[in-house]
Amino acid sequence: MNNDINIGLGFRREIADEFLTGTSIKPDFIEVAPENWMDMGGYWHAKFREATEKYPLILHGLSLSIGSPEEPDWAFLKKLKPFLNEFNVEIYSEHLSFAKLDNAHLYDLLPIPFKQDSIKHVVKRIKQVQDFLEMRIAIENVSYYTPVDAEVTEDVFVKQIVEQADCNLLLDVNNVYVNSFNHKYDAEKFIDRMPLDKVRYIHMAGHHKISDELIIDTHGEAIIHPVYELFDYTLSKMDRNVPILLERDFNFPEMEELQKEMKNLRNICIKNQEQDVILS
Amino acid sequence: MLYSAKTYDSQQRLSRWVRTGENADVPGTTAEGLKQYRRLFRNNINNTLTQAYPISLEVLSNEQWNKMVDGFYANHDAQTPHVWKLPFEFYQFARESDYAQKYGFPFLNDLLYFEWLEIDVYTMPNKYPEPFKENGDAMNDLIEVNREYSLERLEYPVHLYAAKESLNHKGNYFLLTYRTPKDFEVKFLDMPPLHVLFFEKISNERLTASQIIDQLLVQNNEIPKEQLAQNILGFIQTMMEEKVFLGFSENYLN
Repeated sequence: MNNDINIGLGFRREIADEFLTGTSIKPDFIEVAPENWMDMGGYWHAKFREATEKYPLILHGLSLSIGSPEEPDWAFLKKLKPFLNEFNVEIYSEHLSFAKLDNAHLYDLLPIPFKQDSIKHVVKRIKQVQDFLEMRIAIENVSYYTPVDAEVTEDVFVKQIVEQADCNLLLDVNNVYVNSFNHKYDAEKFIDRMPLDKVRYIHMAGHHKISDELIIDTHGEAIIHPVYELFDYTLSKMDRNVPILLERDFNFPEMEELQKEMKNLRNICIKNQEQDVILS
Repeated sequence: MLYSAKTYDSQQRLSRWVRTGENADVPGTTAEGLKQYRRLFRNNINNTLTQAYPISLEVLSNEQWNKMVDGFYANHDAQTPHVWKLPFEFYQFARESDYAQKYGFPFLNDLLYFEWLEIDVYTMPNKYPEPFKENGDAMNDLIEVNREYSLERLEYPVHLYAAKESLNHKGNYFLLTYRTPKDFEVKFLDMPPLHVLFFEKISNERLTASQIIDQLLVQNNEIPKEQLAQNILGFIQTMMEEKVFLGFSENYLN
């Protein structure tokens, strides 16, 4: 990928043919979870190969569990490294959460306690992983539905980890919106406190509001207007382009709708790029 | 580990809550937030398992299924980072916990395994054949076998009969599950013991059909050689048609 505006879409089995033979969606890149495609043969191996021949690939992991107390899963990382190399993957990201504890995978992203000892622990884990993979990874701010025994705020937690680990940040703008709603903080101020110079990749998505008090980050709905606005605000604070992903994992609409969402994202990028040119 | 004992304890309590739903008194959390994590965790695992085991789900009552799944979350430490491989661990858990006996469905282990085999063979890593040609001498040339298969023994023929009906046909069954080249379709084939012997030899040893027939005759001289040869020839033909045998090896015998 070059430094131009790149808008991608998650490569999902339900809409795989649209990526390969359809004409309605035109992403600049695709994103997959390596766990869902590594070790996979047969039909889906063939489809995945076809997709990677057509589009640049970004990997967004699910199981690394960077917040686990135990050592990183070296067996998994040993398989991941050649997978990254095979497909010339420039960005590999993971969640700032834990999904494994006491040798049991949980297949869910659980919140790490926002504490100083957690920061030290996660920084060490990220460094171990980066050293092994010989690349910077990007860490995503996750949506969370309850804090756990927090000592510091979420923004301090994320910022300190990214800076101390010298990793990149995958800034999920929808997650910022969801968390700001659920935990009642100012989303723009949160963005201001993020190390925006470390942002390597941005996620955008829809969510599901289940009550007046709670939003769940589902990736099953269209992006809503306030999240576009927060995205616009984020880009206005950044001085360069990074790849932007539209996350959509289920409840797929007509492909034209997804293309329209990608176009909306591109237009916001173009607007901010033009403003940057005027300002410079 | 650089976590303090207190932080680690909070994580353990949260994990315990998510897996069991037992009040874990996780410090500094909200009841509503905890409820959501438990719900999301259960939905995620349950969706994976219900998609993998549609027949078992139909055979068991909702209560039986839910009890088995709840037991799985709570007591089994999932090992695979690939959630699509989790159904195999569920099958292992069900077998070790002897739900077949508990529920009075002796065929349950075979049924779960049968359903898992479809996923396993459909997703198994590609195994590329050696160079082969379509035409050859079925008896005297080496046969190239499609390596994308699994051959298993079942006690209950859940691949031949509806699950409950299989109870009346308990015995020794051999099920070949294989993936066809190019269109990647998973197919099942019931194999009699004689063909299993032949298939295992042709898959694992560098022998021609005629050499295997000679070995089979040493083991069992009750079948006349000509009859055995005809039987094996018919089997080879079927396997060729089914794309279990791909053709004849281009790597000739010495």
